[in-house]
Amino acid sequence: MNETAALIAALNTSWFATGLSEKAQTRLAELGRRFTAEPGTELFREGETSDTFGILVHGRVALRTLVPERGDITILTVEPGDVYLWSALVPPYRASSTGTAIEPIEAIVFDGASLRAALREDCELALALYPRVLVAVARRLYATRLQMLDLFAAEQVKSW
Amino acid sequence: MVIRTAPARGHRPVLEGPGFLARADLQVLIDLLREDGRRVIGPTVSDGAIVYDEITSLDDLPRGIGDEQAPGRYRLRRRNDERLFGYVVGPTAFKKWTFPPLVPLTRAAKDGHRVTFSPEPIDVPPVAFLGARACDLAALGVQDTVFTGTAFVDPDYAARRAKVFLVAVQCTTAAATCFCTSMGTGPEVEEGYDLLLTELDGGFLVDADSAAGRAMLARLPVRPAAAAEQYGAAATVAAVRARIGDPVPAAGLHDRLLAQLDHPRWAQVAERCITCGNCTLACPTCFCTTLSQVTDLTGRDATMYRSWDSCFSPGFAKVAGGSFRSRPRDRYRQWLTHKFATWWDQFGSSGCVGCGRCITWCPVGIDVRDELNAIAPAVPLVPEAPIVEPVAATPNDFVTARVVATRQETADTTTLTLTGTDPAFAKGNTGQFAMVALPGFPPLPISISRFLPDGIELTIRGAGPATKAMCALQVGEQLGLRGPLGNNWPLDRAVGRDLVIVTGGIGLAPLRPVLHAIVADRRRFGDVKLYYGARTPADLLYRDELERWSARHGIEVSLTVDRAGPEWTGRVGIVTHLFDQAAWDGANMIAFVCGPERMMQATSTTLAGRGVPASRIHVTLERHMECGIGLCGHCQMGKYFVCRDGPVFSIGQLGDIFGREGI
Repeated sequence: MNETAALIAALNTSWFATGLSEKAQTRLAELGRRFTAEPGTELFREGETSDTFGILVHGRVALRTLVPERGDITILTVEPGDVYLWSALVPPYRASSTGTAIEPIEAIVFDGASLRAALREDCELALALYPRVLVAVARRLYATRLQMLDLFAAEQVKSW
Repeated sequence: MVIRTAPARGHRPVLEGPGFLARADLQVLIDLLREDGRRVIGPTVSDGAIVYDEITSLDDLPRGIGDEQAPGRYRLRRRNDERLFGYVVGPTAFKKWTFPPLVPLTRAAKDGHRVTFSPEPIDVPPVAFLGARACDLAALGVQDTVFTGTAFVDPDYAARRAKVFLVAVQCTTAAATCFCTSMGTGPEVEEGYDLLLTELDGGFLVDADSAAGRAMLARLPVRPAAAAEQYGAAATVAAVRARIGDPVPAAGLHDRLLAQLDHPRWAQVAERCITCGNCTLACPTCFCTTLSQVTDLTGRDATMYRSWDSCFSPGFAKVAGGSFRSRPRDRYRQWLTHKFATWWDQFGSSGCVGCGRCITWCPVGIDVRDELNAIAPAVPLVPEAPIVEPVAATPNDFVTARVVATRQETADTTTLTLTGTDPAFAKGNTGQFAMVALPGFPPLPISISRFLPDGIELTIRGAGPATKAMCALQVGEQLGLRGPLGNNWPLDRAVGRDLVIVTGGIGLAPLRPVLHAIVADRRRFGDVKLYYGARTPADLLYRDELERWSARHGIEVSLTVDRAGPEWTGRVGIVTHLFDQAAWDGANMIAFVCGPERMMQATSTTLAGRGVPASRIHVTLERHMECGIGLCGHCQMGKYFVCRDGPVFSIGQLGDIFGREGI
């Protein structure tokens, strides 16, 4: 299997890319590359420029945010099939959390600038990719709201 | 009026049909009732109103006094005659004697590690109710069903009710607030009395409808009533019916009301309603109660009292996480929909008898008839019968059990292992709960987290004073239990299917017996998936068991937490993310869900999106409970009492009341 075919096969294992047209799959495979990292590797850092957009194929990435005096708090883990660094597609292209591999990971990554250029030129690719990014981000937004409610707290969380 | 034959007594001739009793001879009836050892409760003027209270003579009755009633208004008026029953109904109902406002239930004592619970003896004198109207009789019938007509019987009510001799009176006048005609309860008294009086100018037509009534009739100085007297009595009552008319057309009211849970009128009436609860206290059928503890100064001896409560009380639907009906509009809607709709589903009748007390005694003059008529007709709903599988109950009593082990599960949650429990627990089922009591604290519903051959386990989170006291119990100490109560997880429906269990926080406790039942007979079930979310890694319950279920019993256990430190390498995120993108198809699955209601809602939506039918998504609900057997009224949710009809419900059963604000 050549590398493009391997990447297409990997894309198809993710819920994010399920149902992409063959043409879009091929185009993404041309733009992407396989990436692996060991547990403990910091993949990106909160506030820094997001230079890659990733689709996680295997492993787990913790998204953390630093709270002074409480340390690094994991607020979400990225699981296989989901994306990370969606901020590479949305201005100001800066990471909203710090991403660290907490298992050996395998991902398909895309250079942010090249992917954005491709999406500007190729409406069909944009039409295939952007709604999926929106779904992925909306899913996180909804989850964040539920987490914010702190439903499992023993004491009732007072409104403020 | 039906003509009956009375048996001969003494020297009097056999009476065929109703007799006539001169007005002054009503004193004979009062005297005979008192001679028989009965307290006679009848109408008397007090504080500007005609109330029911103990009477001893005719002079106590409101001779020549009538009343004028309107929304928020009540006035006594001098009549132009000497009638004793020329008024309608006042603020009191006879429930004050069959269902007193304050009753001591249980005495509890703590002596070192030993606690004892003993029910208060029920010792009530016989009474006679004089002057009960058709609506009063209907109201007694409604409370009879509530307290004695379902699986659980209230012993205090049953004892008091058995000792009532009922002297009913036909209505010969109506108030502007009356609507018994619409509720099908009056104005004619037709049955359910011992003696029935119809007041005429010179006295009473008297009839009997029971052996005790016929025996009393035979002792009264009556003569056979003349045909004209009988005709006149019937015509007077017929005139009352015509005067009342049909203010609230009742056909289809149940469905029409339940289809209007979002009507803007609820918010409008709530702007007038001051949630004082007067309507529920004046109502002759309202039966909700609350428990209070009175302890001595040492805290060792406590008496538990039951008192009238109201669904309008701010704390009525409160649980540790907040109140399910925080807004006045929620409470008004609860009251009205219960009275006129869901009461039918629970007890086979309307909860309203049309006496109009709630209209007259509402300080702001809210008229239920106007409110009901303002709610538009809508699509009828087909109610689904609740599953009721109660196992055992010992009302008003707590059986003590002893703590033989404690295990601190998390910083605020403890599992107590109890032995010496009521043998009924041996027959308990997954998903059931117990009312758990400590002297000086209100009893609380706690899910049973494990059934043992000679006891149970309770996993308790110390969220308030009572649960904190339970968590602090040491080995050797005792507590009081009543149960097991409620229905169970429908495990039989899971046999041969794939089962998905989704739970969050302390919600794993009521599901733990399900997992025990599955591992005990693993082959009967298909794939079993447990998705469990907690606040932080330190809040995960039963960690050793989770590992065992996964490693040894082929249960797919997936955990997630809402937030974690860097040492946690498991998942972080909400529990639905554990399966919203999973590969399985839910069409053949059955789901059991337990957690905070908002979490169960999100989970049910996600499960439905994965193809699990609503009839196979089961949730267990938490509500404020005080009795656990459908008698105190606190846990009502639409047509259900969560304690008795639940706590386990399918999403299909709950329909759109699940997750709705203020139900």
